[in-house]
Amino acid sequence: MTTGVNETAAARADSAPPTRSLADPRRTTWVVLMIFVAPALIVYGAMTAYPAFRTIYDSFFTIDGSDVSFVGWSNYRDLTGDETFWIAVRNTFIWSFVAPILDVATGLLLAVALYAGVPFARFLRVAWFTPVLLSYVVVAILWMWIYNYDWGVVNLGLRAVGLGWLASSWLGSPNLALGALIVTHAWKWAGFNMVVCLAAIHSLPGEVLEAAELDNCGWGAKLRWIIVPMLRPTLLNLYILAFIGKMKIFDLVWIMTGGGPLWATETVSTYVYKRAFNWNSFDLGYPSAIATVWFCVVCAAVVILNRLLRSTERLEY
Amino acid sequence: MAVVRLDRLSKRYGTLTVVDQVDLTVADGEFMVLLGPSGCGKSTTLRMIAGLETISSGNLSIDGRVVNDVPAKDRDIAMVFQSYALYPHMSVAENLAFGLRRRRIDRAEIDRRVADAARILGLEALLERKPAALSGGQRQRVALGRAMVREPMVFLFDEPLSNLDASLRVNTRNELIKQHRRLGSTMIYVTHDQVEAMTMGTRVCVMNNGRVAQIGAPLEVYWQPADTFVARFLGSPPMNLFTQPLMSDDGAYHIDSPTIRTPLVRWAPAALAPMAGRPVILGVRAEDLHLDAALCGDPVHGRLRGRAFAVEPLGAETLLAIETEGGIDCTARLPRDIRVAPGEMVDLCFAARAAYLFDAETGRAIPSFAP
Amino acid sequence: MAAIAMPRGFGRGALALVIGIYTIYTVAPFLWLASMSVRTTTEISFDHYAWPHPFHWEQFRIAWVDSDFATYFWNSTWVTVGAVAVVTLVGAAAAHALARYRFPGNRVIYGILFSSIIFPPQITLISLYQILVDYDLYNSLFGLMLVYISLQLPLTIYLLEGFFARIPQDLFDAAKMDGYGDIEIFVRIVLPIGMPAIATTLILNFIQLWNEFLFAVVLITDPEKRTLPIGIRAFMGDHFQDIGMIATGVMISVVPVILVYVFFSEKLIRGMTAGAIK
Repeated sequence: MTTGVNETAAARADSAPPTRSLADPRRTTWVVLMIFVAPALIVYGAMTAYPAFRTIYDSFFTIDGSDVSFVGWSNYRDLTGDETFWIAVRNTFIWSFVAPILDVATGLLLAVALYAGVPFARFLRVAWFTPVLLSYVVVAILWMWIYNYDWGVVNLGLRAVGLGWLASSWLGSPNLALGALIVTHAWKWAGFNMVVCLAAIHSLPGEVLEAAELDNCGWGAKLRWIIVPMLRPTLLNLYILAFIGKMKIFDLVWIMTGGGPLWATETVSTYVYKRAFNWNSFDLGYPSAIATVWFCVVCAAVVILNRLLRSTERLEY
Repeated sequence: MAVVRLDRLSKRYGTLTVVDQVDLTVADGEFMVLLGPSGCGKSTTLRMIAGLETISSGNLSIDGRVVNDVPAKDRDIAMVFQSYALYPHMSVAENLAFGLRRRRIDRAEIDRRVADAARILGLEALLERKPAALSGGQRQRVALGRAMVREPMVFLFDEPLSNLDASLRVNTRNELIKQHRRLGSTMIYVTHDQVEAMTMGTRVCVMNNGRVAQIGAPLEVYWQPADTFVARFLGSPPMNLFTQPLMSDDGAYHIDSPTIRTPLVRWAPAALAPMAGRPVILGVRAEDLHLDAALCGDPVHGRLRGRAFAVEPLGAETLLAIETEGGIDCTARLPRDIRVAPGEMVDLCFAARAAYLFDAETGRAIPSFAP
Repeated sequence: MAAIAMPRGFGRGALALVIGIYTIYTVAPFLWLASMSVRTTTEISFDHYAWPHPFHWEQFRIAWVDSDFATYFWNSTWVTVGAVAVVTLVGAAAAHALARYRFPGNRVIYGILFSSIIFPPQITLISLYQILVDYDLYNSLFGLMLVYISLQLPLTIYLLEGFFARIPQDLFDAAKMDGYGDIEIFVRIVLPIGMPAIATTLILNFIQLWNEFLFAVVLITDPEKRTLPIGIRAFMGDHFQDIGMIATGVMISVVPVILVYVFFSEKLIRGMTAGAIK
């Protein structure tokens, strides 16, 4: 396809002053670029950008089937007074800010355990990673059974060690349900954080840890004074990733509790879904407003977290 | 006939000029070495010849045809890259044939050329291997073979030996010289290694800061450096330079200071007259310095005085570093049996004919009689 | 590397204990699920933790034939494989252009394509539902596939761009001098050399889409078109007490993932964690 260009270029070469040809192999014609990039841009435009804009646009309307009416900021005004929405926001924030600490800490400790040189480290790494691959549907069903009041392993275990009075309806109690979900979620993701931390520890210069050894550091001291500070960028990265994941959380909640009991586990995602597709409220405008607000919150949170956590300079080693 | 002509060839990135008005004619069958430190523009020049870099201004012609806007593939040029750029997913045979497949050359001819190149370069046993399974030297030969099968008018080499270890480098250097002699093609070779330049080049083009500093046969460039840059870049250790006032005494010019003194015998008085009393740069090569008290006393020779601060016995010879009174360090290449202790004051002498003079402002050599 | 001293004595025992307990914690639930998948619900109700005796392999046949899991399985397969194939090709082409060529707006396009990775899915969910309804793609596996392509595009471009950018420029220069055009270079140099990264991306996309739930549950209502995750969920809704059959269905959905994991565990782990390792 470039031959046409070449012939004219060659014909001109003797007379015309040197022009910009495409000799630089890092440049090419717009036609070629478009062949490579256009499909992705079309997919992005049609299936991501357009729907996103449409959601924002829709949030100013009440949409009941084909019956569309402009309502201005009214959806947003309703939102400020929507108690369920605020409960959902609170739950999601608790989950997003607190749970990642649990995830990352578990992952780091497991990684250090493997790095300390236990046998079968390779096997354990693969085994511990398995839950990451299971779908939320599978994890949810599995843990609903684990939490089962009558025969779930949690309550059986408590009864077996004489703590039967602690046995509870883990997913049925408003006070416990969110915690139970957070544990389940952590079960799925700990392996992921472990692998990332392990890779990061392995990329640390071995001499530093050996030097710490000579300075008579135990594993606890090494973790506290050497590994954690040096892994800071990785750990922050993991925290942000976990944070983003939890701001979007839907599947697990929807299958295990449906947001109940009494909105104890309602997240923004499940609430949007309910308002749009589950309740017979027949309006897509209001959930669009929630989605828009949440979209802005997530983007802002990611930007702010990035700023806050990464403002410190990277460690040189 | 594949004459490559660079006519005021320039490369600019925005306001930064990387290659500045390079004029160079590479004769048919010549092995031209582009020599210079990193960042001097030699690789960019080569890439412009290859067609991998747009030419900002000036003309490039190959075989009499201006090829500024001819794409790389139509210039009838082959290139050996510093990293060899072997396709890692193809066997050696496929790598050799890859450049031919595109050129509508029939299969039998491709097979013949690949077989020839493999035989000449001793790659026959390796044809089915992937590049990852080859040693550095073997990869280098495949890269050379890939250029050879193309039977191009011009071969380009971009520091092809810099990834090899020292002993292999010598072998490969000889191999390349041999292939050049056999093929008789025009070759342009970029390197920062003066040994490669001296041993391989028919002519050497020394570049500095995007400009041509000097073009000439290797020994000519070595013995008649055009400026202080060339003087110091060629030669190891580099030429010793001293900025000193030029004294005249009844029409006889000489340098005379506590650090260094020498009569200037290679220059016509008329050439030196305009600089009388002003500073000039005097240069002496390390191998021209001798430790000989008798000669040092004789004013027909040059003499240099300083305090020894490092003695480096290299086995075959000894390098002696001295600090002169002006604070200028200077290195002498002496026989292996000399005995000098660090801290000792030494006098080094040199033949007056071995001195070089450069203009202190421009750094250009002051023209002399025959060396 | 392994020169770091192992903890000794008591510390070593405690470490082994912690590791043992954690391994049981991760693996046991899954083994429990597997054991239930070959037991009947009656047996399970009698003792939820007994060893299968006998192994009721016919549970799988029943789930596959009578409980429609075959339909769900093939629906999932078709949607996932189709979407993965397309997104990998589209993503690879874009990643190559973004990694290789200098052109104005390169980083802007990359940023736009990549940043959607942080979007909460709701921002597109409701509109995509409307759009698919408008274009008669609602309740269609093809429509779901299109959505899946867009879901995995940012990750695909991110992973492949990173890899392609590390292919040495010399290879492209050499191919260019050998007379190959831009598209040929992509097909004959970039794709073969990028195969390891492409394989990782393929596997990763496969697993993530195979497990996808939210868009499937919104965009598919026809029981005949359910994918495995929503099929299982629907089955559970209808037969809440039939634990044995649910477990069997879940196993059917997990087996392909486990098979892929067994063969490509390293690739998969590397791919999934590539974004987090700095």
